Amino acid sequence: MKLNLILFVVLIVCALTTVNFKHLSRNSFAELDGENKNTLDLKDQQTMLRIEESSESRIEIIEKIAKHKINMYIPSKKEKKVIIR
Amino acid sequence: MIKIKSRKEYFELSTARRRIVLIFMLGMFVILFAQAVKLAAFEKDKLQKESRQRQHRTLDLFPYRGKILDRNGSLLAESTPVYSIMADAALVNFKDIDPIVQAKLSKQKKQLANLLKLSIKNLNKNLKDRNKRSVPLRRNIAPDIKMKIMALKIPGISSNKVYKRFYPENGPVAHVVGFTGSDGVGQEGIEMLMNKNLAGEKGRIINRIDKNRRVVGEVQQIKLPKDGKDIRLTIDLRLQNEAYNALRKAVEKHEAISGSVVLLDAKTGEVLAMTNYPSFNPNGYNKVGDFIKNRAVTDVFEPGSTMKPISLAAALERKVVTIDTLIDTGKGPYRYEGKDIRDTHPHGKIAVKEVIKVSSNIGSAKISEKVSSNNLAAMYRKFGYGIKTGINFPGEVSGSVRKHTKWKKIDHSRASYGYGMNSTLIQTAQAYTVFANEGKLKPISLIKGDDPKISKRVLSPKTTKDILLMLESVTDDDGGTAPKAKVYGYRVAGKTGTTKKYIDGEYVKNKYIGTFVGLGPVSNPRFVMAIMIDEPLAEKGYSGGRLAGPVFSRVMSKAFEWYSIDADGLELEGVKDKKEVYANKTKL
Repeated sequence: MKLNLILFVVLIVCALTTVNFKHLSRNSFAELDGENKNTLDLKDQQTMLRIEESSESRIEIIEKIAKHKINMYIPSKKEKKVIIR
Repeated sequence: MIKIKSRKEYFELSTARRRIVLIFMLGMFVILFAQAVKLAAFEKDKLQKESRQRQHRTLDLFPYRGKILDRNGSLLAESTPVYSIMADAALVNFKDIDPIVQAKLSKQKKQLANLLKLSIKNLNKNLKDRNKRSVPLRRNIAPDIKMKIMALKIPGISSNKVYKRFYPENGPVAHVVGFTGSDGVGQEGIEMLMNKNLAGEKGRIINRIDKNRRVVGEVQQIKLPKDGKDIRLTIDLRLQNEAYNALRKAVEKHEAISGSVVLLDAKTGEVLAMTNYPSFNPNGYNKVGDFIKNRAVTDVFEPGSTMKPISLAAALERKVVTIDTLIDTGKGPYRYEGKDIRDTHPHGKIAVKEVIKVSSNIGSAKISEKVSSNNLAAMYRKFGYGIKTGINFPGEVSGSVRKHTKWKKIDHSRASYGYGMNSTLIQTAQAYTVFANEGKLKPISLIKGDDPKISKRVLSPKTTKDILLMLESVTDDDGGTAPKAKVYGYRVAGKTGTTKKYIDGEYVKNKYIGTFVGLGPVSNPRFVMAIMIDEPLAEKGYSGGRLAGPVFSRVMSKAFEWYSIDADGLELEGVKDKKEVYANKTKL
């Protein structure tokens, strides 16, 4: 009789633990799913940034900035110097 | 007298009855057992499948399609997320009896219409049928717009994410990069050629779902998705854009139908630029028509005078002439085998080395008479004519050099100045790598990291040097056919070609193809460039030097500058002791 009672208690504890771990597992899965979605979002953001970087680093834009913002210009033939090695 | 049965006797079954009941019960057990065996043994798969369908959901995991980059890592193609905005017409409601709520809803509706770039009328039309539970309001919108729309928090409005190929560089690289179809499979160019590598491999996952079909756990990851590989091309985007812009200017100036450019690194055989004008927008939807083809590899034309140096090389290699041998080109047309061979101007008696400079058809024909058809045709093939270049570009054609055994005498002569055969522009460019590599034909490549291939010797270094100097004279102001191809500070060489268009079996008057193939710097050639302009307006000039020379000069000068190539053409007489001089000799 005593043994049965102990076994019954163990059974109840096991059942509760199972339910609890299932709950925790679902929570973890939901978290993992969220992190996977975040990874995808970050990958997408990286893509957008790469495209932005690519369009901002076009040679025409660099030349425009060089010309208008830092007053650079292509030297004329008269201004070019040649170093003879 | 009736015997009354006792209770025991009353309920006691006869032996027969007992047997019947026993057989019946056994039969039932047999049926149950048989059913169990049937389910477990014969319908196992079906039942397990049904069970899985109820509890599990299989999801495809899509890989990222690889990027296409230029040699310096600049982006040429990338898959970007775009969104479709969907509406559940039954849930979307912009009406309320409360005037305050109504004002708020009207404002939301206006904002939504603005973000979707739809009129209120069109938005109403889309949402009219309340039975439609998934109405696409707009496709392919950027993530920032989607964020703004979702921030409105309108019930019934949702978004779907899809990936769309984006080509930031548009027209200049469109023919090389190609594009993908709506299914994400490469349709043209590198997208098609490298589709397998770019696409990657799809993955699969099985999730456990609840009764509401919500994912509550992962059962098994059958296969992880494998992202596509990035492809790095040998193209230099800066030179590609420069070539495209120079080509566009030339085509528009001469009102030509189209033009193509190929720029090669003579030392490695890498394609640095390959572009066509007109081009198309690979991000657009109307990707049809003639201008989608990469005409530099898919279209053939008669190479014309660009073949003369090769014919002459055959003669020099056979030692049937020297560069100083005099050739009488006469004072008018040369009658040969019943046909007239003409030069643009009479040149009289000229040395072999002058034939290339003035581009004499008669001179070339007379020199080639000294070489057998077998040797001449073999030399063309050694230069790569009639054979695909090996870049495996979709749609590439091999061009043709007719079998020499079928040549008549006039065919032999005409072949010497590039008629009666055809080639692609990229073949022409590759052929000239021989003159840039001391007589070796360089295998060409379009994808970085391709296994290096061995160059083939075609000419002796001596003949190559002789031809190279002849080609340099073509850019002379003094009688050369392409002075406009000159590059300040550098020695450049090349050959012009002007051919009549051959349409439906005959040469058409006033329809020309102008070409120029050049290389530089002559002291140590690094770049080879071929330009073709198709059907310029004849009144505006149609010679290859006039049409393509400026394109060559502009692109080459940038290539020399960006690749820090030492100037070899500065006139620096009398400055031997100085370490630093001005390039402009008036300052010396």
